[in-house]
Amino acid sequence: MTAQRPSRLRYLTNGIIKENPVLILMIGLCPVLATSTSARDALGMSAAASFVLIFSNVVVSLVRKFVQPSIRIPIFIIIISTFVTIIDYVLQAYQPALYRMLGVFVPLIVVNCIILGRAEAFAYGHGVFDSFLDGLGNALGFTLALVILGSLREFFAVGTIFGKTLTPAWYRSAPMLFTIFPPGAFFIIGILKALAVRLKLGK
Amino acid sequence: MNSKAWMTISLLVTCLVAAFALSEVYAVTKPKIEQQKIDATNSALGQVLATAQSFKEVEKESLWYGLDQSGAKTGIVVRSGLRGYGGPVPVLVGLDLAGRIVGIKVASPAEGLKETPGLGLKAMDERFWKQFLGADSTVALKKDGGTVDAISGATITSRAVARGVAQAIRKYSEHLKP
Repeated sequence: MTAQRPSRLRYLTNGIIKENPVLILMIGLCPVLATSTSARDALGMSAAASFVLIFSNVVVSLVRKFVQPSIRIPIFIIIISTFVTIIDYVLQAYQPALYRMLGVFVPLIVVNCIILGRAEAFAYGHGVFDSFLDGLGNALGFTLALVILGSLREFFAVGTIFGKTLTPAWYRSAPMLFTIFPPGAFFIIGILKALAVRLKLGK
Repeated sequence: MNSKAWMTISLLVTCLVAAFALSEVYAVTKPKIEQQKIDATNSALGQVLATAQSFKEVEKESLWYGLDQSGAKTGIVVRSGLRGYGGPVPVLVGLDLAGRIVGIKVASPAEGLKETPGLGLKAMDERFWKQFLGADSTVALKKDGGTVDAISGATITSRAVARGVAQAIRKYSEHLKP
């Protein structure tokens, strides 16, 4: 693994396109499809998940020397759910509208496979700073995919992005409503995946 | 140290640290969270019954008396939530002492409305809910023999709102009618 030590910047950039958790690895799709009905919700969900992802990566890396392999999963879950509960309280207290909108998907961050996946596959075997970079990179990749998906769905179904009207009135009177429904989410994420693979192969 | 003891200790320490961190965050955010809940309820109630200065909850989350500064009743707010297309359609109905509807608020998606965007969600539009102002307990959709125009493509949602309003008026007669 350390034979040709990749530069540390790679840890950061890997998660954005090349190993984008959503578009390339196709993990954590459940919250992605459910919370991307508008750009604003998508950004809120990304922010919450990113917070948990970065901090759990750092903490898992900090304690990795004390954690025996046989009990690593319970310990990871305790760490992750602690951060999820913190973000849950904070959203309730300071962003109640967003909290109600995201609903059950905030507590469900606990079982988000991107977060447990990075803890298990990366942070458990790497240093604190590298784990931070990896968490940040994956958080950016997750945010990128989610916000693009949310913006496109909102744009086609409602005619706005982040609540800003971007289409003429005739479009908004008869928009492509289906993009806000689950099939529309699959449809658009399929196109985004194709673009991401194209981008990855092109490099 | 043997590995079993070490496992126990590391799990214990992790849990202790997590519990401590959470109790701190909980203590800081709890008053704020409760305040947010009260604010949200009061602002919604105030929108449907503008004459009231404060509200007294009579039935948990479904019936409030509006009170003015001296504490006299100015009206009643009823929350109904009959089943629409995607789930219950929460409607707040404000009635004055004479039983006239003075305000109506259909919840937004953030407040629990699960109707279809572009169709049932239009129940939040003023054009639709304004039809209910001044209605009595016989209020119904045109389709059901009443006077209210349903939202096109969203009869089920419209019916849930109309029946919710009728229910609210019946509640008024149980509570405030002399």
